[in-house]
Amino acid sequence: MKQAALSMKDLRQAVLRLPDNGLMATRQAALANIDEHGLPSVRDENFKYTDIGTAIDISNRWLIDGAKETSGGVQRDAIQAICSSIDANWLVVANGLIDLTGFDADSDIEIERFSDTAAPALVDRPLADLNAALLHDGLRVQIHGATEKPLGILVIDEANAAAGVSQANVEIEVSSGCDVEIIEYHHSFGDGDHYSNSVIGLQIDQAAHVSYVRVQDRSLAHVQTGRLSTILGKDAKLNMSCYDIGGRLIRNDVDIDLGNPGAEAEFNGLYLAGDGQHIDNHTRVDHRAGPARSTQEYRGILNGRCRCVWNGKAIVHRGADGTDANQANHNLLLSEHAEIDAKPELEIYADDVKCSHGTTVGQLDETALFYLRSRGMDKQQAIQILTHAFAADLVGRAPVTAAKARVQSLVERRLADLIQVEAP
Amino acid sequence: MLEIKNLKSRIGDTEILRGLSLTVNAGEVHAIMGPNGSGKSTLAQVIAGHQDYVVTGGEVTYKGSDLLELEPEERAREGIFLGFQYPVEIPGVNNAYLLKAAVNAKRKHQGLGEVDAFEFLKLAREKMSMLGMDPKFLNRGVNEGFSGGEKKRNEILQMAMLEPSLAILDETDSGLDIDALKAVAEGVNTLRDPERAIVLVTHYQRLLDYIEPDFVHVLSEGRIVRSGDKSLALELEEKGYDWVREAASA
Repeated sequence: MKQAALSMKDLRQAVLRLPDNGLMATRQAALANIDEHGLPSVRDENFKYTDIGTAIDISNRWLIDGAKETSGGVQRDAIQAICSSIDANWLVVANGLIDLTGFDADSDIEIERFSDTAAPALVDRPLADLNAALLHDGLRVQIHGATEKPLGILVIDEANAAAGVSQANVEIEVSSGCDVEIIEYHHSFGDGDHYSNSVIGLQIDQAAHVSYVRVQDRSLAHVQTGRLSTILGKDAKLNMSCYDIGGRLIRNDVDIDLGNPGAEAEFNGLYLAGDGQHIDNHTRVDHRAGPARSTQEYRGILNGRCRCVWNGKAIVHRGADGTDANQANHNLLLSEHAEIDAKPELEIYADDVKCSHGTTVGQLDETALFYLRSRGMDKQQAIQILTHAFAADLVGRAPVTAAKARVQSLVERRLADLIQVEAP
Repeated sequence: MLEIKNLKSRIGDTEILRGLSLTVNAGEVHAIMGPNGSGKSTLAQVIAGHQDYVVTGGEVTYKGSDLLELEPEERAREGIFLGFQYPVEIPGVNNAYLLKAAVNAKRKHQGLGEVDAFEFLKLAREKMSMLGMDPKFLNRGVNEGFSGGEKKRNEILQMAMLEPSLAILDETDSGLDIDALKAVAEGVNTLRDPERAIVLVTHYQRLLDYIEPDFVHVLSEGRIVRSGDKSLALELEEKGYDWVREAASA
């Protein structure tokens, strides 16, 4: 099959129509990169299992239609519904436009627009280039102290009848010694096709500690590619949980750079997929110095005709002695039509390291099912109980207390829907 | 209460029960003994409705109806309880949640409303205290990280909360130290009732020192080869299972 190509001519015109707010040079540089490298295709090792053709198709339709910003933006009450469900201080990017109306000034948080300060540095990744080329504006956030509430970043999109495309870009720096909670929340709704492409950067300075919850709760018709790149300083700690609840085609890239001794990253993810969904989680941990530790556990529950990908890469660079890297991926397949491509990758160039990985793919435990039925639960109820139990552990680990209840209700609601589909 | 006639059952290609007949009336306690592989556990699993055991002949009537027609959960709601030889660990499912869901499944079947949360907890704590169980076990995952003895006590706790008409306890005594054995036996004895039947499946006579059966049956090669009162268990203990086998083939 011929790889769908992005219409460069229309992309160039769309870039020229963006506001001239100091980001033009960066947009042009990003365009040049896309010109040179193109967008990823299934021929690229990193996108072997995920065809982003749908994202390119939506982008082309949007570009040819004049690359219009969705008229009227996102309904206020939709934004409000999410912002009020989690007690946080929210920065909102609605259909690609920054909205700070709901943000309370906090002396410990400094916020600047890229357009008022400097354009972001280009990340050498194809979809990050697309983000930079089409970005209206982005935010640079500096956190200096213990904030009163968690910092929330809401990336929300409302799709009208026409195809829509939006970019979000936020760079966060957490200063030395701070202990901070952050929520990154993606949501979308509406009848039209939509493609969201986000780039979030997180720099955790020396001895700072970040608890991070990432939620993707998009419409089952929408497409998202989202990157989170984190860099940890000396003795810095990241504790993160990611939840993929919705989406038609989802590709998450989580990069964690441990460049300093004493850094620790513990992160996990839960993905729930049903008919027609494709959810791809690519993680990459670069151990550049030791001693340092990274631990990840991703779990998936799949039912119906769907496909998920987990690719966990850990690179232990030369000299990163004292590295401890663990990765695990467990999948529950409730349908014979569900497919998981699970791939742990370890590249080790140092001597004194401890690395482990484990992957499992399976069905529900028949013995446990019978045990529950022998206690009076019917089969459907027993399936539900066991499936919830598989997810409950990761829900319980959500490190931001304010987000826990919301995550739990999202997961429970989605699981209830998923299990409605007849499991064999 | 339970009438089994000429029951035959296999798992995979292996025939295990080869024409077993047994009648259990309300108020009775039966002990089923026999060597390993004689079909004791299979009998328990068939009565509870495990799908891996295929019934190839005979019939089982429970409270006047065909038991083999019912799904495992229907049997449970009709008052059959199987205490598992190897209780299953289910991490992520709260022990109290399972207990309550089980009690409510039965109540719903009986046309009753859900159990009152406060009353339920109070009752569960009482039963746990009788069984020598720490109340903190209520908030742990079902059997998760429990010792062998704790798992068996947890089975008896479920039984005590569910108040079954017919309780089948599959090797509930195995792996128990003497204190746990006494606690479990006390739990079973308090459930002795003219309306309730109890079937103890056991390899050893030891349990019967604490729970006195009305009838003892010896199972060999998928059939009951001898029945008697509690003195049969003692005779068996003394002479060993070979004696029964020889007597059966003679």
